[in-house]
Amino acid sequence: MSKNLRYAVILFSICAVCALILALANSVTAPVIAVHAEETRQAALSEIAVGNKVGQEEALDGKDGIVSRMKLESGGKLVGYLLTLKGNGYGGEFTMMASFSLDGKILAAKMLSDGETPGLGKKSEESWYMTKFIGTGTKDKPVPTSKGMLAKADSDAVSGASVTFGGVSKVLAAGSAYVLSAGGAK
Amino acid sequence: MSEKKNHLMEFTKGFLKENPTFVVVLGLCPTLGVSTQVANGIGMGLSALFVLFFSNILISAMRKVIPDSIHIPAYIVIISALVTLIQMFMQAYLPSLYSALGVYLPLIVVNCIILGRAEAFASKNGILDSALDALGMGLGLTMNLTIISLIREVFGAGTITLFATKNWDGVIHIPVLNQYPVRVMTLAAGALLLMGYLFPLFHKIIAKKESK
Repeated sequence: MSKNLRYAVILFSICAVCALILALANSVTAPVIAVHAEETRQAALSEIAVGNKVGQEEALDGKDGIVSRMKLESGGKLVGYLLTLKGNGYGGEFTMMASFSLDGKILAAKMLSDGETPGLGKKSEESWYMTKFIGTGTKDKPVPTSKGMLAKADSDAVSGASVTFGGVSKVLAAGSAYVLSAGGAK
Repeated sequence: MSEKKNHLMEFTKGFLKENPTFVVVLGLCPTLGVSTQVANGIGMGLSALFVLFFSNILISAMRKVIPDSIHIPAYIVIISALVTLIQMFMQAYLPSLYSALGVYLPLIVVNCIILGRAEAFASKNGILDSALDALGMGLGLTMNLTIISLIREVFGAGTITLFATKNWDGVIHIPVLNQYPVRVMTLAAGALLLMGYLFPLFHKIIAKKESK
């Protein structure tokens, strides 16, 4: 057997054994991970719906990071939308959910998954992080898309993680604009 | 007796004499990156310890099978398989730690400490010594990460974040510092500043120990 062929066989065998072990591990862990993901989603849904009834999820084309929408209803009347949003932070893509009233105002928002830096962009997962966006999105009070639009304490809280803040505010502003334009849609 | 002493040396060298962070200066990127909270530091240290332990054992056991000219790709495949395993199990059974470690967990694959020990030690030594080397180096790294993250979190955020339990959120709040934290300590500049103080301190301790 030539030397190169022997090397190829050795490397292939190592890769094959590793792949087999990983496949076995995946078959054990994948169902548990799926259950966690669903639990996180359900918990986030009930938190973000702020007491309204959540309708069926409708997939959207992903333009401006808006992946899907769910109608929010109260007493059988459409009161807003709950959107799944995907944006880009410092550590790659993140997924979040936010609810909006029909005038584009942000009612609640939550980070679902992200790869942000612990201690900096990761703070976006904490509940206080989103409070600076809640109530914004209307004509008089636009979504803060730059640190200059925040109060000093809020601005200090996001310092060191401007990319995360930029990504979150961008998708929230896009979501607000989307709901405003789709406001009358039934 | 002397063999026993040698084995012990392989284990203890990772703490001071060949400390991975302060003496060998390897794996600084994740060290500075995750050391903003104590729980993250400990989690990262133990994850690296796990990968290092098994990669050293596997590479030492296969050192006569893997030809020299393909050793780097072979080591990388073994190390990345171990990291993927730990990622899968952590995501399934420790989801909060998994999300806290973020991008640094997959980066263990290219952590210089792990490849460095495989290259410099496991590929040339027996299984027992390689396992002891990995344990010493891994625990040394965990110790470094814990010290750095403790100082950074206490001064930078006024808290000590440990692992949450059912009845406790895992966070100890330190009065005064909690109100007036030295924010720069949680940022990259603070991490580098702290390393600047810890390096000479560590070398002084080692020099003192060696002169005895």
